[in-house]
Amino acid sequence: MRKFFRRNTAGYVFLTPWLIGFFFLALGPILVSLYLSFTRYDMVSAPVWDGLGNYQYMFEYDRRFWKALEVTFTFVAFSVPLRLAAALGVAMLLDKGLRTIGLYRAIFYLPSLLGASIAIALLWREMFGLNGVINQVLSMVGITGKGWITDPDTSIYTIVVLAMWQFGSPMLIFLAGLRGIPRDLYEAAEIDGTSRFRQFRRITLPMLAPVIFFNLVLQTIEAFKTFTSAFIISNGTGAPADSLLFYTVYLFNEAFKFFRMGYASALAWVLLLIIAAFTALAFATSKYWVHYENERD
Amino acid sequence: MKLTRRTLLGTMGAAAAASALPFKAMAASQSIRHFWWGNPTRDERTFKVIEMFQASHPDIAVQGETIGWGDYWTKMATQTAGGNMADVIQMAHTYIHEYVQRGGVVPLNDYIGNGIDLSHYDAGANDIGTMGGDLYGINIGATCPSIPYNKRVFEEAGVEFDPLAWTTDDFAAACEKITSSTGGAVTGSEDLSLYMETFEIFCRQSGADFYTADGKLTMPVEEVAAWWQMWKDLRDAGVVEGKDQTVQLDKGMADLGLIRGTTATTFRWANQTGALQGLMQDPLGVAIVPQRAGMQSGHFVLPSMFLCLSRDAGDVPAALAYIDNWVNDEETLKVLGIDRGIPPSQKGRDILAPQLNETDAMVVKYFGDTQSQILSTPNIGPKGSGEVRDSFMRTGTEVVLGNMSPQDAADQFIHDAEGILIRASR
Amino acid sequence: MKTNVIEAAVIADPDARLAHEIKERQRVRDKRAKLLKHLFLIVLSFVMIYPLLWLVASSLKPENEIFGDLGLWPSRFEWSNYTEGWNALPVSFTVFYKNSAIVTVLSVIGNLLSCSFAAYAFARLKFNGRTFFFGLMMMTMMLPYHVVLIPQYVLFLNLGWVDTYLPLVVPRFLAADGFFIFLMVQFFRQIPRELDEAAMIDGCSPFKIYWAVILPLSLPAMGTAAIFSLIWVWEDFLAPLIYLNDVNSYTVPLALRMFIDQEGQSAFGQMFAMSVLSLVPVLIFFVAFQKLIIRGIATSGMK
Repeated sequence: MRKFFRRNTAGYVFLTPWLIGFFFLALGPILVSLYLSFTRYDMVSAPVWDGLGNYQYMFEYDRRFWKALEVTFTFVAFSVPLRLAAALGVAMLLDKGLRTIGLYRAIFYLPSLLGASIAIALLWREMFGLNGVINQVLSMVGITGKGWITDPDTSIYTIVVLAMWQFGSPMLIFLAGLRGIPRDLYEAAEIDGTSRFRQFRRITLPMLAPVIFFNLVLQTIEAFKTFTSAFIISNGTGAPADSLLFYTVYLFNEAFKFFRMGYASALAWVLLLIIAAFTALAFATSKYWVHYENERD
Repeated sequence: MKLTRRTLLGTMGAAAAASALPFKAMAASQSIRHFWWGNPTRDERTFKVIEMFQASHPDIAVQGETIGWGDYWTKMATQTAGGNMADVIQMAHTYIHEYVQRGGVVPLNDYIGNGIDLSHYDAGANDIGTMGGDLYGINIGATCPSIPYNKRVFEEAGVEFDPLAWTTDDFAAACEKITSSTGGAVTGSEDLSLYMETFEIFCRQSGADFYTADGKLTMPVEEVAAWWQMWKDLRDAGVVEGKDQTVQLDKGMADLGLIRGTTATTFRWANQTGALQGLMQDPLGVAIVPQRAGMQSGHFVLPSMFLCLSRDAGDVPAALAYIDNWVNDEETLKVLGIDRGIPPSQKGRDILAPQLNETDAMVVKYFGDTQSQILSTPNIGPKGSGEVRDSFMRTGTEVVLGNMSPQDAADQFIHDAEGILIRASR
Repeated sequence: MKTNVIEAAVIADPDARLAHEIKERQRVRDKRAKLLKHLFLIVLSFVMIYPLLWLVASSLKPENEIFGDLGLWPSRFEWSNYTEGWNALPVSFTVFYKNSAIVTVLSVIGNLLSCSFAAYAFARLKFNGRTFFFGLMMMTMMLPYHVVLIPQYVLFLNLGWVDTYLPLVVPRFLAADGFFIFLMVQFFRQIPRELDEAAMIDGCSPFKIYWAVILPLSLPAMGTAAIFSLIWVWEDFLAPLIYLNDVNSYTVPLALRMFIDQEGQSAFGQMFAMSVLSLVPVLIFFVAFQKLIIRGIATSGMK
């Protein structure tokens, strides 16, 4: 009993800062937003209780809600795997035996540093525009381009490319993970004559699984919440023809442009449920492929 | 560990508090906050005005707060929700009704002539800021619709026209001439079919209005269809910008074909001409929005910005003194220039006349020359009219992309707009 | 001289000659692979760096050439975008940098300390409710922040913290960013458990284990967290926008938003120039701190 108590104490002592932050700063606003999702709230006057009105409107009448879901799911489905693959690929290239690694790492992180500024929005529209760099390159190989970013059928893929291009943060995390793999494992495999591919499958992947898992979960969450890039590139409108109407862009406009914070809160909670479902799925499957060094047996 | 954290938290708190402290307004018996959206020039002018005001009113401390247009409204909404609005706030005609109808800004009737002197204002200058008989927003700069055009391109194409009296047919002919004479490198105009502001003028030329005085939708569906048809014809003729540029909505100045040198005209509020000119090398001219043959003028004047007293204003007399100084003090008016719009009083315009640069002088002249064509001030839209504007752009996009005929799109838009207004009125 | 001996041996022994040849071929192949790798990385680098070139080029162009002229090379170099941009706003950028530095340094320290505490608890200590709290922590990351903006603002307003740096800094000392907790948890769990068991037997307290075992073995993770934390706080703009009213207390990203006015006069050239400068501290920190990630090898190689 005493031992049990002592074990609990250490855990809670270390968790104290987080507990204080959660209960005093985070929990209140979260619950308020849940409450607001059941109200009509224009931010200027007081909220008015509306029961399930917001949710009912969302599922029964709101065409743009479904459009926003479609756009966001398309983005998640493409951007997460592509971005992770790019990040892992480059991280592995950079991991071994290059003296200039620091320089490359900095260069590859640059696009992520530029983030989603006005400059990037201008640049992206220019590059993928009718007379942009992309079309100039394409015309060299005989392909007639089009306005990629202004065609509702292709505009979302320019945002996917943007997300891929900003692979800096998952790349860094992969690198840190790769650095944690003991070198002697590879040396032993080398001596046994194991091929590079087998080394990747037998050593790299399993050892890196916790980090891959982390990146997968986090990138999925972030992808669902993608806001700034789509917002600035479409001037906040989701144009052309709502093809860039990301869920959070729609949510933001409902809240701050059309003064419907109650409805926006309902949208947010629906998104939370969707993300939570995906995350729970990832955690549930993780026991089959993510093994931790200390929890092996 | 206990020590580490406590010490750290302590130092952190102290450091943060200390760094914030010196910036707090110094002791003055009264203090107010003024919040505006700005840019480097406007911020400089406004802080100068605040400095001057504080010199003449040492008992009132004024904290100036500013940020760019896009972020301004997010911050404004948050402060409003928290009951922490600045005392004096700047409003735009696209947002003022949202705040007035929800009680975010308060009526100024009681203070006019009794704290704020507006006796020198032009007749009707404060009509748009007046809702339901109460004045909510004081006009601090007037503007009017305009078609800025690239003078060099117009001249080289040999377009001859009267910028103050041209018809939609003249406009189409000019577009054709420019496009063909440049071999398509420069098209006549940006495709304005998704600009609801321009459509409003077109619509008013027929005698119709968007909204009634009590906020009912009266926009005729035929006018919407005619507008989209007119642009479809121009697009089909290839004399205006292609669909690629058109379907990008709410473009910033940097994205305009006029700035990029790919079109010869666009639509903007007249007070923005100077900013446009700053981004391009060719000289600009300003023309009135073309009129449909045989119809009346649709031209009007409106405030580009308002000064409002917020619901949360703590020290009303101090705020009133500040507003009064803003609209009356000669030195203040001189410093402000026409950055926020053309002064809505002869007194203001006279004060500024000697200091205007070439572009500004052209704009002021245009403003004066078109006074005779002013029809009336349009009625302000009800709650939800901002969303109607969004819907207009979205449905119009379908026409631009060729997915819908102008007539079908117009039917759909009016139907959607009615739904939006019903939802917003709840 | 040594080579001569080997060569002599190789010639003498046909088996060794074969082995030597294979090795030689391997080396050539490795060299070629390395060359290809470099070539690929250089091409990729150009793609990655292009936007920065564009940004720098735009920052050097006269205002009326930035958008009309698509070429990268400016017709004349407008250095005044830098010199005048620095003082173009009502408050000098010196002040903005100082403000950003205060907020960033405090936030990074706060993030690293508080998140590693929480992560240690989640990854290494067993206590009742661990899974429950971990789930809550994950949940805080899933709610779009725009809808908690207003309740949070009201909360900080009631605490009297609006228009100070407290709303920006205090949450960071209270492990508000689940990203870093989760990141550290994943790395902490990889550290061999025998190490802390051994330490425990030696009579080390949980804090001692955290400090002397876990942290030193997690330098790559901590370095990564430090870099992200710094970059994200440095670039954070929404919280400063909402909580800071006085222009004198603005941070750099907020100041950058003062240049652009969709409805009026903007100063794009100066905005670009100041954007370029705002990257400098982050890049310096990045280059300095990524050494931590590399140095990690030495320690984590130890088993």
